[in-house]
Amino acid sequence: MSTAALELADVHSGYGEAVVVREVALDIRPGEIFVLLGKNGMGKSTLLKTVMGFLPLLRGRVRMFDEDISGMQPHRIARKAVAYTPQEQALFQDLTVEDNLRLALRDDRMLKPGVDRIGAFFPFIPQRMKQRAGTLSGGEQKMLLVARALMTRPRLMLVDEISEGLQPSVIEKLASVFKAEREQSSTAILLIEQHVKFALAVADRYAVLKLGEIVDRGLVGAANAEQSITDHLAV
Amino acid sequence: MSSVPAAEVGVPAASKHRRRRSDLRLVLGFSAAALVLVAVGPYVLPDYLVNNLVRAFLYAVVALTVDILWGYTGVLTFGQSAFFGIGAYAAGLVFTHMGFSPAHAWLAFGAAILVSALVAVLVGWLSFYHGASPLYASVVSLVLPIAVTQLLYSGGTFTGSSSGLSGFASFDIEMNTWFWIAGAFLVLVTGAAWMFVRSDAGRVLVAIRENEPRCEYLGINVSRVKILLLVVMAVIAAMAGYAFAGVQMVVAPEYAGFVFGTELVIWVALGGRGTLIGPVIGTLLIDVSTAYLSGNLPFIWKLIIGLAFVVVIVALPQGIAPLVKRLFRGGGAVDPAKQAPALGIAREEPLAGLAGGGVHAISLHDVRKHFGSLVVLQGIDFQARRGELLSLVGPNGAGKTTLMRCISDGAERSGGTVLVNDHDIERKPPYDCVAFGVGRKFQNANTFDALTVAESLRIARTRLERPSVWTRAGVLELPEAALKVMQATGLDQKLGGEVRHLSHGQKQALELAMVLALEPSVLLLDEPTAGLTKPERMLIGQILVELTGKHGLCILLVEHDLDFVREISSRVIVLHQGRLVLDGTVTEVVESELVRTIYAGGGRIGGAAR
Repeated sequence: MSTAALELADVHSGYGEAVVVREVALDIRPGEIFVLLGKNGMGKSTLLKTVMGFLPLLRGRVRMFDEDISGMQPHRIARKAVAYTPQEQALFQDLTVEDNLRLALRDDRMLKPGVDRIGAFFPFIPQRMKQRAGTLSGGEQKMLLVARALMTRPRLMLVDEISEGLQPSVIEKLASVFKAEREQSSTAILLIEQHVKFALAVADRYAVLKLGEIVDRGLVGAANAEQSITDHLAV
Repeated sequence: MSSVPAAEVGVPAASKHRRRRSDLRLVLGFSAAALVLVAVGPYVLPDYLVNNLVRAFLYAVVALTVDILWGYTGVLTFGQSAFFGIGAYAAGLVFTHMGFSPAHAWLAFGAAILVSALVAVLVGWLSFYHGASPLYASVVSLVLPIAVTQLLYSGGTFTGSSSGLSGFASFDIEMNTWFWIAGAFLVLVTGAAWMFVRSDAGRVLVAIRENEPRCEYLGINVSRVKILLLVVMAVIAAMAGYAFAGVQMVVAPEYAGFVFGTELVIWVALGGRGTLIGPVIGTLLIDVSTAYLSGNLPFIWKLIIGLAFVVVIVALPQGIAPLVKRLFRGGGAVDPAKQAPALGIAREEPLAGLAGGGVHAISLHDVRKHFGSLVVLQGIDFQARRGELLSLVGPNGAGKTTLMRCISDGAERSGGTVLVNDHDIERKPPYDCVAFGVGRKFQNANTFDALTVAESLRIARTRLERPSVWTRAGVLELPEAALKVMQATGLDQKLGGEVRHLSHGQKQALELAMVLALEPSVLLLDEPTAGLTKPERMLIGQILVELTGKHGLCILLVEHDLDFVREISSRVIVLHQGRLVLDGTVTEVVESELVRTIYAGGGRIGGAAR
C-alpha cells in the first residue's frame, strides 16, 4: 500500500472535558478525494481542527505523509504542505486580495504564476487584486479561500464546507477544480460537506460522522452509496 | 437556589407569574460578612492601616466603575479619575470658599453629582456616537483627565493651581467612623454591581462588548446604553472623590489626572478584569502595600509593582481573581449565571410584528450604492407586501447582501429611498429600522460568543421586554416561530451552553431564532440555512412559509439552493451586476434562460437539493 497522505487512528477530541469526536479512523491516499458528511454539531469541523493542531488530541494518532504529527503545534503542521480552509473567518479582511494570496506563499516569485493558474478557475481574482478582501461578497470570499489554498501547491487539502453560500454554477466549477488538482498534482483532498450532490459528484470515498463517530463509509461509486448517506443523515 | 431543568419546552403562556432569579441571598451573605469585617476593623487594626484603608476603599469604588466599563462593556477608560477629581474638588471648593456647614456639605454633594453627570453626558456623547470606534472612546477618556487637570492648574487661587486646596474645614468625624462609612460604601457598591452585572440588563453590557453591530440590529441603542452607563459610573466615582476630600481635607490636581486614571486600569487588570471582586482586592493590596513600602523602598517600589504587573500578565492573564475563586470553590461550582431558564411561548396569537401594517412592507425607489468608483447597486426599484416570501437570487458578488444592508441601515445607501412599512428610513441607524419592523439575519453567523444560548435570546428580547437590572427572569418567553427553530435544530437542548461551543450551523440557527425573537414584520434573511442539513432546511422552510401565511410577515430571502427557493417562495427577483434584471413568479424566474446562463450552470450538481 502506498503512503497515506493523512491517516487517523482512534482519534478522540473535544473542547475541555466534552469529548466531541470518538474513535475516528481514516486514511486518505495521495490523489484521492475523500468527503466527510454529517449533520451540523456532529464533530466534523472539530475533527479538522484537531488534525491541524488547534484542538488537543485526547487519544489516538494523526499521521501526515508517514510522519507522526500528533500533538504538534499548528504552525509546524501548516508547514507540511497541507492547506486548510476553515469555515469561518479565514481571510485577512483588511488586507487586499493580493496580500491575502501573497501571505500564503513562501516565495513571492510564485505569486505571478499562481495567480495566472487560479485566474483560469476564478476570473474575478486577477481583476480585483487591489480590493480589500473584506469588501468581497460572501461567495467571493469563499472562492478566494480556495484559490489561496491552491496557490500553495499543497499535497493535502482540508476543506471545511466550501460550497456553503456559493451559487450553483460556482459549485460545479469547484468540483472540476478539485478534480483537476487531484489529477495534475496527485493532491489528497479531504472535504467536509453538507451538500450531498456536490460531495458525491466530486469524491472517491465517503464517511458519515454522527455524534462524533463514523457510522457509515464506503465508495462513492457503490450502487447504494447515495441511499445509505441519505438514510444516515436523516435520522 | 433551585436548579431549573435545562428546558421545559412548550411551557404554556400561563406562566405569567414567572420565577425571577437573583443572587440576592448570596450577595446579602457576602455583604453581611464584609460589613462585619468593616465594623470590627478599626478595633483590631493599627491606626496607620485604618487611615490607609479608608483611602483604599474609596479608590476601590472607582476601580469598580472601571471594571464595569472595561471588564464588562469593553470600554477601556483612563478617565474615571477625572470624575473622582470632580467630586473631590466639589467638596474642596465649596468648603474652602464658603466654609463648612451641613447645608454646604449637601450643596457640595449635589454639585459633585450634577457636574460629574453633565460632564459624563458630554464625554459619552463625544465618545459613543453611532459608529465611533472603541479606540476613539479610549482616546477621549485619556483627554478628559488631562483637560480637567489643565483647568485646575489654570484656576489660580480659586482652585489652588498645582498645589491644590488644603486646610479647609470638613466633617467633624473620627477616622474610625470614616472607616465604617467608606467600608460600607464599598460593600454597597460591590454588592449592587454584583447584582447588576448578573442581571438580564448586565448581560446586555457583555453583549455590547461581544458584538456591537448585532446589538444594534436587535434594536438596542448601544450609544444610549453606553452614555447612561458612563453617567452612572461617573456619579459613583464622584461620590468616592467627595468622600475622599471630606476625609483627607486636601485635594490636588493629581487626583483628577490621567496617571491616576491609568493606575486604576492597572489595578483592575492585576485583580482580574470582569470579576468585580478582583479589582477590589487588587486595589486594596496595591494601594495599602504602596503606603507601607514606598517609604522604605522609594525607587525600587515602582519597579516591584511593574514586575508584579508583568508576572501577573504572563502567568495569570485573567488576573488574580480566578486564582482566589479556585481556592474558595475548588473550581467545581457551576456558575449560576450559566444556568439556563425554562423556555416558554410569549403569546399564542399571531405575531403582531413590531410595526406591521402599511401599504407596502418594503418599498425601494431608485436605490443606489457605490464604494468610491465601484458601483454595487443601481436603480433598484421594487415593492413587497405583507405575506410575501420574496427570494433574492443572483450570482456571487451581484450585490445581494449590500441590498439587505441598505434596507436595514439608513446610512448604507448612496442614493434613493427605502420605505419599511411605509416609514421612510431616511439616514436612520439600524436600531431605528428595527423599530419600523426590520429583522435582519446576517450572512455569516453573527452571535455573542461569550454568552449562553438562553442569554443570547434574552438579549434579542431586550427591545420588547425591558430587562431587570437586579434579577434574571426564570422563564425565557419566545414567539412560537423562534421556539420551533430551536426545536428543529436541537438548540433547545443547549440553552445553558456557551455559543462559542456551537457548530457553525447551530450558530446560524441561533441567529435566526434571535431575529425571530425580535418579532419583526419584515424579515431579511441572508442565507439562513447555510450550514444546515436538508431535513433541517426543510423544517426551517416550513416555518418561514408559516410566518408569511399565518402571521403576515414579509420575508426577503437570499438563497442559492434553487430547489429550496422553488418550494417556499411566492415571488423571485434576480440581481445581476447590481441591477434588478428579473421579477416574477417562481416558475418564470427559475426556468428562465437568464438564470440558467448567469447562475445555475449545467444543473447536474448545483441546482439539486442537498
